[in-house]
Amino acid sequence: MNWTNRGDENARLDALFRAYREACPDPDVSANFMPELWRRIDERQRSVFFMGRWARALVTAAAVLSLGMAAYLYIPHSGTSMFSVESYVEALAAGHAQDAPDLPESVADEL
Amino acid sequence: MLVDFEIIKRAQAGDASAFNEIVLAYRKRTLGTIARLISRPEDVEDVGQEVFLRLYFSLDQLRTAEVFEPWLYRLTVNAAYDYLRKQRRRMESRMSDLSEQQVMLADAMAGGRVDHDVRQRKQISEAVDAMLSTVSEADRILLTLKEVEGLSLKELEKIYRVKENALKVRLFRARQRVLKAFGEAGHEPSAKGAAKAEI
Repeated sequence: MNWTNRGDENARLDALFRAYREACPDPDVSANFMPELWRRIDERQRSVFFMGRWARALVTAAAVLSLGMAAYLYIPHSGTSMFSVESYVEALAAGHAQDAPDLPESVADEL
Repeated sequence: MLVDFEIIKRAQAGDASAFNEIVLAYRKRTLGTIARLISRPEDVEDVGQEVFLRLYFSLDQLRTAEVFEPWLYRLTVNAAYDYLRKQRRRMESRMSDLSEQQVMLADAMAGGRVDHDVRQRKQISEAVDAMLSTVSEADRILLTLKEVEGLSLKELEKIYRVKENALKVRLFRARQRVLKAFGEAGHEPSAKGAAKAEI
């Protein structure tokens, strides 16, 4: 394609865009435009409001749960605690006592 | 600006009547831009309402009066872009689907009830729509804003928040693609007729 043709096409394209602008004037607005817009705004506001309430409820529930768990871990539980409160030496001694065989008294004397 | 910044401030504070004033001032122009961006008259109001809906929920972010109009254009561009992307997906799945107005117009044309002027306008609109469909939605919008809406590069710079040189390059490439499609379609009767009708 030579430059003259390209220039010609450019001019025709510009003319077509101008014609398109004139062929599509600003449309008339229907009477329903504003009521429909406000209906959509209200609808969106309601959904935002409900989502906000859900989010707040979830945050509150998570905070309560976290506090509950923290309290449970913080308060010592005698016997039922999952963590041992005895020292390492005490635990070792207890373990050895369980491992030692219960010898009868007569056998013990002979030894 | 078509409204005082005072009205925008009142709308920001939650004054519904001030927001109504803004919509009333800008809706015709906004709908016109949308009509030329999406080329489907029956969906123009729907997209327009989406624009003002987004405006309503983001109005509190506006700080200065001079950015209001570029910002409204930006909302318009984004809503039109979302619509065109959805439309392309829909068109891919239902190629034979014609818009209500297209069906009515075709029906009227067949019955010889449409005058020459309306037929010519429809031809031009279809030719431009077909040409612009050869580029991406983003380029279509950019070209329409520049070539049809007549926005300057400075205005486009504010809307797109992109440097002028980058816009120039993008516009040049998009125009080249459209020119190619225009050259090819020049042999077809509808586009040729539409272009000749104007020149």
